[in-house]
Amino acid sequence: MSNITLEGISKSYGDLQAVDDVDLSIRDGELLCLLGPSGCGKSTTMRMISGLETPTSGEVYIGGENVTDQAAYDRDTSMVFQNWALFPYKTVLENVAFGLKMRGDGTDERQQKARDMLERVHMDGYEEHSPTDLSGGQKQRVALARSLAVDPDVLLLDEPLSNLDKRLREEMQIELKDIHKEFDKTFVYVTHNQNEAFTLADRIGIMNDGRLVQVGEPTEVYRNPTNRFVEEFLGDTNFVAGEVTDVNDQYGRLSTEFGATIRVPAADAVEPGASFTVSLRPEFMQIRRSNGANEREGTAARADGTGGDTVVGSVENTIYRGSSIRYVVDTGGEHLFVEQSVTDQTGIEEGEQVELGWNTDDILVFRPDGSRVRDE
Amino acid sequence: MSVETGSSTLDRLWAPFEAQSGSRRSLLLMSPLILFELLIFVVPFAMLVRISVSEQSQSLPYAEGTFTIASYLEVLQSGLLQGIIVYSFRLGIIATAVAVVLATFYAYATWRADGLLKSALLFSVVLPLLTTLVIKTYAWVPLLAPNGTANNLLLAIGLLSAPVQVVPNTLGVVVGQVYIVFPYAMLAIYSVLSTVEWELVEAARDLGAGRARSFFEVVLPEIMPGITVATIISFAWSVGAYSAPALLGAGSDRPFALEVQEQMLLNFNWPVATALSTIMLVLMFVSIVVIYAVLGRFGGDVSDAA
Repeated sequence: MSNITLEGISKSYGDLQAVDDVDLSIRDGELLCLLGPSGCGKSTTMRMISGLETPTSGEVYIGGENVTDQAAYDRDTSMVFQNWALFPYKTVLENVAFGLKMRGDGTDERQQKARDMLERVHMDGYEEHSPTDLSGGQKQRVALARSLAVDPDVLLLDEPLSNLDKRLREEMQIELKDIHKEFDKTFVYVTHNQNEAFTLADRIGIMNDGRLVQVGEPTEVYRNPTNRFVEEFLGDTNFVAGEVTDVNDQYGRLSTEFGATIRVPAADAVEPGASFTVSLRPEFMQIRRSNGANEREGTAARADGTGGDTVVGSVENTIYRGSSIRYVVDTGGEHLFVEQSVTDQTGIEEGEQVELGWNTDDILVFRPDGSRVRDE
Repeated sequence: MSVETGSSTLDRLWAPFEAQSGSRRSLLLMSPLILFELLIFVVPFAMLVRISVSEQSQSLPYAEGTFTIASYLEVLQSGLLQGIIVYSFRLGIIATAVAVVLATFYAYATWRADGLLKSALLFSVVLPLLTTLVIKTYAWVPLLAPNGTANNLLLAIGLLSAPVQVVPNTLGVVVGQVYIVFPYAMLAIYSVLSTVEWELVEAARDLGAGRARSFFEVVLPEIMPGITVATIISFAWSVGAYSAPALLGAGSDRPFALEVQEQMLLNFNWPVATALSTIMLVLMFVSIVVIYAVLGRFGGDVSDAA
């Protein structure tokens, strides 16, 4: 068993609170990504699991055993470093065999294991090379082999792919996923790249300002974020601020910065006069040519009087992004952007009048303090 | 190789070099240094060697225009002078070993310290360099003398029952010599150590290496170039030690530098003084080649060391 439990761990350096009261349960055999912007405390949290840092307060359990006061060399964890940290004066084989040597394995045994591990990461043939001669991707493979060779209960990966170019990074992500399946160990993976987290993770733990904001499966955190920070961090979105003017039994009516009045869900949680910010994901909006109607209110007018789920504007910019096209639409001073698949072939060009539409239930509503307004 | 554009003076100065091939260009650039070496070292050394193969003279420091290797034979056959050579090398080996080990510990502590402590540790090393060698060496006399501070302290707390004769004595010479070379050894090691990534030590510990093990496995090979430089500086200086043996030593503490001085200034026997110097120089040169070769085998690419 190698589940990990963090109980209220904090780490402060002088006045700086790097990690603030984090509670986290990592299941045996899962791949958990700690995701957050730089300086959010994700690496420090991982280093406390490895034993390279000692928490200022709180407890760390690995496999049910309290390891809070155990040194790194006594813990059954192994870490893959961002800059690989390969020993430059040892050969690739010596690097991979290092942990086994420290454990006291005999020369033949550890060399055989190291060779097997190098073969697993497709680095056979490089045994006698110096790590300094290898490319970034190769160093990454050797670092991975070195950590896997000691057969750790928990493998910790600290932004291991952030120094690789995009193609290599994506290739390695797939390979890491395979290795995770094959070795059936608990992986904790630190990254600031949300795509990487979505690709790899069984569950994602999102951190900000030293706190763990939300933990959940990728679809859960993306579709159902607990606050505005998570919504913003996990992907590009349009935030539109406004004030609620009216509420009926199903929807609220939000008077927005760009003049249009739109419908918002969670009618029972919003009240007239309160300010809210809504998030309109670019991929949840559709763009179509407006049939000449220039009046904004017209689009928002609804029979039930609660405001609309469309807004009109003119296309200010089209950005070709490979598989998709992003339209930046000027809606009377405010800019919204929409993303459409290139296969949609709308043929809309800059300067054209368009109408943006969405499904009201896809809108997420946030309070001024960033907390989410949930539809009860 | 490119020179910053826009500075036309530099461009003009560079132009004659640009035209040359690589090796000739570097030769041209080195020429002031070569000239300096020639005038300050090679020519005087050639004169010194010439004197060493001259005949000794009763009335003059040496007999000009004569040729004999008698002085070399005298140095190599004299038990007294052999003893002096052995003493010099023993002092060199002991002082170097102590200084390099201490300097490695000190450099490691400085590397790991931060903030005020790091500055204090670094400043303490540089501070003795601001004082004259003679004064700081003499400072050990009141400290280590039989009725000095150290003895009084140890007697007072009962660790000693009778004062220990450290100064003037060989132990005092070693202490003084270590003190003289320590800053240079420490700075040579520290300069390399400060470029080592702490992550390597973390990786080693993460893979199960304890504190000592991670030092010997990972840090030591990395800092070998610094240790080599520190060893060579300490060794060359300690074998040629003059002030520590002169000020802190007893009559039996007689390294070759003192002997050369006596032969030159008191006995007016320049051929023997220069022959002894030449022999020591050759022995030093051989020793340094050996140190280089031996230490270079333990990890660390010595050619990286400045």
